[in-house]
Amino acid sequence: MKKLLWILKSVIILLLLVMISGCWDQMEVDRKAYVVGIGLDKGKKEKINVTYLISNPEYASQQGGNTNEPATEIITFEANDLITSRNIANSVIAKEISYDMLSVIIVSKQLAKDKNFIRWMYDSTKDREIKRNTAFLVTKEKASSFIEQNEPKLETRPHKYFTLIFEHAGETGLIPRSDLMRYFRITEADGDLFLAALGTNQQTNQERSNGHLEAGEFKIKGKTNKTNLMGSAVFKEGRMIGELSGEETRLSLLLNDTVKSPNYTTTFQDPFNKDYDITAKIIKNKRNNVSMQQMNGKTILNIKVPLTLEVLTDHSMVNYAKNKEKRNQLKRYFTTKITEKLNKLVIKTQKDFKGQPFGWSLQGRKYFLTVDEYEKYDWMKSYPNMEVNMSVEIRFGEFGRQTDLPKIKQVRD
Amino acid sequence: MYSLLKKMINRKQQAPTPFIEKSSKEDITLKKQCITDKLNKTVDIFSHIYSVGKNNDVIFRKFHVQALKKDAALLFINTITDTDHIEEYILKSIQQYSGTSQKVEDIVTTPGIKKVQVIEDVIIEINKGNAALFIDGESVAYILSVSNFQGRGIEKAENEVVVKGPKEAFNEKANTNISLIRKKIKTESLVVESVTVSKRSKNEVYILYLKDIVNEELLSDVKERLCMSDVDSIQNLSMLEQRIEDSTKSLFPTILYTERPDRASSFLEDGYIVLLMDNSPASLVLPATFWSFFHTSEDHYLRFLYGNFTRALRLLAMFITLLISALYIAITNYHAEMLPPDLLLAISSTREIVAFPAVVEVFLMEFAFELIKEAGLRVPSPIGPTIGIVGALILGQAAVQANLVSPIVVIVVALGGLTSFAIGDLALNFAVRLSRFFLIISASLFGLYGLTAMFSIGLFYLVSLRSFGVPYLAPMTPKYTSGKDTLFRRLIFHEMFRPGYLKPQDMKKAGEVSDGKKQG
Repeated sequence: MKKLLWILKSVIILLLLVMISGCWDQMEVDRKAYVVGIGLDKGKKEKINVTYLISNPEYASQQGGNTNEPATEIITFEANDLITSRNIANSVIAKEISYDMLSVIIVSKQLAKDKNFIRWMYDSTKDREIKRNTAFLVTKEKASSFIEQNEPKLETRPHKYFTLIFEHAGETGLIPRSDLMRYFRITEADGDLFLAALGTNQQTNQERSNGHLEAGEFKIKGKTNKTNLMGSAVFKEGRMIGELSGEETRLSLLLNDTVKSPNYTTTFQDPFNKDYDITAKIIKNKRNNVSMQQMNGKTILNIKVPLTLEVLTDHSMVNYAKNKEKRNQLKRYFTTKITEKLNKLVIKTQKDFKGQPFGWSLQGRKYFLTVDEYEKYDWMKSYPNMEVNMSVEIRFGEFGRQTDLPKIKQVRD
Repeated sequence: MYSLLKKMINRKQQAPTPFIEKSSKEDITLKKQCITDKLNKTVDIFSHIYSVGKNNDVIFRKFHVQALKKDAALLFINTITDTDHIEEYILKSIQQYSGTSQKVEDIVTTPGIKKVQVIEDVIIEINKGNAALFIDGESVAYILSVSNFQGRGIEKAENEVVVKGPKEAFNEKANTNISLIRKKIKTESLVVESVTVSKRSKNEVYILYLKDIVNEELLSDVKERLCMSDVDSIQNLSMLEQRIEDSTKSLFPTILYTERPDRASSFLEDGYIVLLMDNSPASLVLPATFWSFFHTSEDHYLRFLYGNFTRALRLLAMFITLLISALYIAITNYHAEMLPPDLLLAISSTREIVAFPAVVEVFLMEFAFELIKEAGLRVPSPIGPTIGIVGALILGQAAVQANLVSPIVVIVVALGGLTSFAIGDLALNFAVRLSRFFLIISASLFGLYGLTAMFSIGLFYLVSLRSFGVPYLAPMTPKYTSGKDTLFRRLIFHEMFRPGYLKPQDMKKAGEVSDGKKQG
């Protein structure tokens, strides 16, 4: 009998334990509103305007797929920070706001340039649900209008659109790899500049040649989304200070060993016939060789950039694969061209930004014996005065799938 | 409320009404007596004991033995004896005897014959299907072995099916089963001992072991446990198993029940003890570890890679059965961020129109699936196909269309149910299916944290189990010298040792093999 009482008591205690402590953060998946993108704009005084891009699970799903509901719901309101905004939104949105699916944080240029911008950014480290691999995008216009006017035609589910465009625009090097983790790491290390992806859905009328484009300058016709991501926003100490064009972003990626360098195709003027262009695919397989020397109080950086080039067009019909002399001539041409471009970019960073977005502070760190010594040297401050010696080493890869071309005279005959 | 509970607990049990029993003292003293030399009196006693006349199949055949010039009587139960044998070897040979010998042994030509004096012993032999021959003037009974119990022949194994390997299975006759084992182990050291384990039905258990390998301590432990039971009847091995196992309330089985003679004999050769019984188409192997339930005989019959592939598959199936429903609940209720976005949206959209919480959904489907399993097992075969239609249509299709459950839950539960069939052993199958519910409950209360906590508790429990003194997870933990046949098996010529946890008299079962060289 005593044993029975004991069992009963322990069962009751166990039940109480479970009832009191269990299920504390249990939440059914269908009771959450999944925020895919957060837009941040400058509000009145020290407030921000938060825009939520909420994905509709019912859209295009097999089960509840026959609905006429739109794919997304967008809501903009003023809030103090990213944390309170979750609760305020619930006065409009019926389901609990969840950041489980958050894939992009979009910030307007205006807010990014604000001196207090970094304070709001650090809110995202406080929230448990915001992941550090969330992409980071700077828009030229207001983030809220960017989100509203972004209408992908085929990837109507917003998370798919953002994941895919970041992935592929990143692969081609037109935008840098930008996520929260990199933003915080580079800001806290205080040796480099952080590059964030730059996007817009406004078209400008400026005309420049391909590659030098910035977001919004790329002319597109037809029925498609107006949004384009190109180039990068430069952040120094957590605050935006400038912009890089698409080509400059690509070049900066060649110099940066902390990111996976993209393989991309680009064009050069044909050295053998000024009327034509040569398309080449630039591949970077090896890491750069960065060495640092101190001489007479001046720091010299020696950068060796090993590149593999695949020449894919041959409009002047030179037949490079068969012609060694022309090939060497081409190699010299490419070397000077690329070195020129890289030097121009380095000078721009030294003069305009007074810092470099190439992650060189990491590679330079090993030339200091102690951390104290490195900190005292203050890489960021010293960089503008450094002498940077760039040398590009080019190896040719293949010359297209078919290397041979027919003699133009024979064809015309 | 509390006082009510207290009352309920403290309620005194009413004194049981006394059983009205009849004393059998008279019968017992009668049976302890010896046979007298007066045939008439003996016949009377046995007619009383067996209720001859009322009892339809008990035959008392009286006749005159010409050679001895004496009256005699033959007592047997004709449903369990071979009447042809009785006619051929006993009656005919007695009547036609023309020799001069006065000894019964010389006259009767049955292969087995022995003399018994106490009435009780005669009864035991008659109940076993033998015939008793009483001769006037002799105070002994001659027991002639002519027993012939009816039963089925040797058939294919039905529950432990293999593709490659012997197909024959044990049947309900212990003699046949022993013969099947002797066919595989042709050695004089294979001992078949018998122990009577019940008082009224006199059920016999055969203990099989190899006397120069088995651990003596283990053997005496087993014998002790067999003799301990004070019970009128133990019908078969499944009932015996529950009486001798270490922990009867344990979730996991500790004695292996196998219907394959090849499996039983390979266990015997490793130093295990095998129990056989009439009326059981199987054998008990003890002690049993977790691995003996996890393995099948085919793992060793298949080539090294194929065998291990099926092992890997079975392991995966076991984990899927155990964890999939619990994981689904834990992840969708607590850790939605773990799901890929597209899957999250898909689950969310299908859940949106379902009335119940995910836990209820899963329990509903699990319950339905268990019902299909159980009903499918019990349903008479002519209406068997109905189960399939009802199960597949109602539970799969209609339940989803009626928004009772979401399609993903159907997939999750069906996958869990399907994979549970990959665990061949019935006992382990039950254990896994039951422990799954503990995991589902803990996952629904505490998410992944609860799931891992419950899984660890389960592991602690497994480690704490013992079967006849052998740790349940041996030789993996604690470690013992063995053939290292646990999750995966080794190459056949690397399995050199018998399991060390059995402490066999002879550890080595194969010679040393140098690298790369096969034996023989």
